[in-house]
Amino acid sequence: MRSVMQQPFRTAVLVLVWGWLLFLVLTPNLLVIGASVMTRDPGTFISLPLNLDAYRQLFNPLYLDVFLNSLYMATMTTLICLLIGYPFAWALSKVPRHRQMLLIFLLIVPFWTNSLVRTYALKLILATNGLLNNALMSVGLIDQPMQMLYTEGAVIIGLVYLLLPFMILPLYAVFDDLREDLLRASHDLGAGRLATFVHIIVPMTLPGVLAGIMLVLLPAMGLFFVPDILGGSRNLLVGNVIKNQFLDARNWPFGAAASIMLTLAMAFLMFAHRLSKRRIGEDGV
Amino acid sequence: MKKLALAGILAVGLTGCGSDDPQVLNLYNWSEYMPQEVLERFTEETGIQVVYTTYDSNEAMYARLKLLDESAAYDLAVPSTYYVSKMRQEDLLMPIDRSKIEGFDNLDPELVNLDIDPDNQYSVPYLWGTTGLAVDTSDVDGEVTAWADLWDERFEGRVMLTNDMREVFHVGLRVLGYSGNSTDPQEIEEAYEKLSELMPSVRTFNSDAPRMPYLEGEADVGMIWNGEAVMGKDTMPSLEYVYPEEGIIAWLDSFVIPKNAPNPEAAHQFINFVLQPEISALISEDIGYATPNLAGRDVLDDAVANDRSSYPSATDMINAEFQEDIGDDALQIYAKYWEMLKSGR
Repeated sequence: MRSVMQQPFRTAVLVLVWGWLLFLVLTPNLLVIGASVMTRDPGTFISLPLNLDAYRQLFNPLYLDVFLNSLYMATMTTLICLLIGYPFAWALSKVPRHRQMLLIFLLIVPFWTNSLVRTYALKLILATNGLLNNALMSVGLIDQPMQMLYTEGAVIIGLVYLLLPFMILPLYAVFDDLREDLLRASHDLGAGRLATFVHIIVPMTLPGVLAGIMLVLLPAMGLFFVPDILGGSRNLLVGNVIKNQFLDARNWPFGAAASIMLTLAMAFLMFAHRLSKRRIGEDGV
Repeated sequence: MKKLALAGILAVGLTGCGSDDPQVLNLYNWSEYMPQEVLERFTEETGIQVVYTTYDSNEAMYARLKLLDESAAYDLAVPSTYYVSKMRQEDLLMPIDRSKIEGFDNLDPELVNLDIDPDNQYSVPYLWGTTGLAVDTSDVDGEVTAWADLWDERFEGRVMLTNDMREVFHVGLRVLGYSGNSTDPQEIEEAYEKLSELMPSVRTFNSDAPRMPYLEGEADVGMIWNGEAVMGKDTMPSLEYVYPEEGIIAWLDSFVIPKNAPNPEAAHQFINFVLQPEISALISEDIGYATPNLAGRDVLDDAVANDRSSYPSATDMINAEFQEDIGDDALQIYAKYWEMLKSGR
């Protein structure tokens, strides 16, 4: 009886999941790939014939500069997220269970507000006559307001703020699964704290680290509104180039090609992630 | 307030439930370009609900209208000067039925029947304005009278430009003595070279609300739209609007009805409503741009009518240049240098 009841439910779920993937993941990506090999057309955006001009354009030194700058900002963001997120996730896994749930809940609460709105809030804090400068001046730490808004630093702060939870959550998952018996065994066999950290904890949490990097690095290169709002539209990310090409220059093939380049970079990271998992073994032994 | 993506999200969310209902007008307008009071009074008078969506560039508006052409998402949009001719030529617009527009004859004869739309078959002027120099006189010593003054090294790190490719290059071209509508690759490249000398001074680009960086204390001098300058001066009296010697950038924004508008009747009603002298005056007083409606100008508050920022004198308009369509080839050249300018370090 139960299995009969479950069958239609299972089918419905499978149809939903596959339908979702087909129409909202596969189709848009195929459209992007299609657009990237077509020719730019001022009237209809894209037209035949097929060609690879858009990809050739990617190797223009200008866009290499943008890509490297983007990569630099995204790498800084990822490193800072890792530096904050790693100890955070570790500490999180040590607090009592019921408090863990509360803390994770608090971590997720900001997602209920649109990220654009939160970025504007950050702008109010960082502005020359904003909250932070006023607070620092009123306690006498500085006499002159600091210029924080519209700098590279402001963009990185914004990216870290938006993406930190994506680093913490996968790290929390691996710390939560960290087997105490292995740590005890390491200790019993005479390893010090540092040796245990380097030889046991780091390798065992590496999949979480890589998952976190994947979830932070790539989005950090694409969040075009952060440099627009906090960087004064001066620090271009790959995401800004994609947006400009689609809207201002109306060069859809090139915008699509740049977007595919980001997807390929993501695929590369996922490949590295799988390799590392295979090396350590799925169950952490 | 409109904010880039937020507007997009609203547009997707709201048009879905709005387009089938005949008592809804889907209005797609520039951000901070229509007082809320006007929308409320329109609804009060006609019973038509207004779904208001905003954009911050002609490019964004054009791309969305072009893509949503089939799904008939908007009844009314407000493109600038040369986008009217572009959209007209691409058959994106519906002719306007002049018999339903009572106040048309009140419009300034200088601002109708232009090359962008002969006989105004597809467009009705809404507001016109200029892009000039903003100077925060409390932080700037000495005179600022020309675009070229922005290159002065005393303004290092204190300059703001609009986040608008055409306007920024317009400034570069004018400083070199060329037309702001140049299509000559050589001239555009020279303008890029000139503008890249300015880049170290540039603190931010903003077309969201160009008065804000001045009010926030982030910038002291730079570009601004005249209406933004008027609104900004209300908050910060030291913000002055200056007509640069090389010539101001002028533009005219017009109502157009997209070809597949679901409710063109309401769109006509709205244009008609705005053309009432009293409403035109209210809009101009509230947001600081100039109304092309001469009957509206007659009933303007004196302070606004005499404000040179909103209503420039004939001498202010010497060397003024309207933006024109530069064609797709030139657009690509501008776009390339624009990205070089922004990524240059």
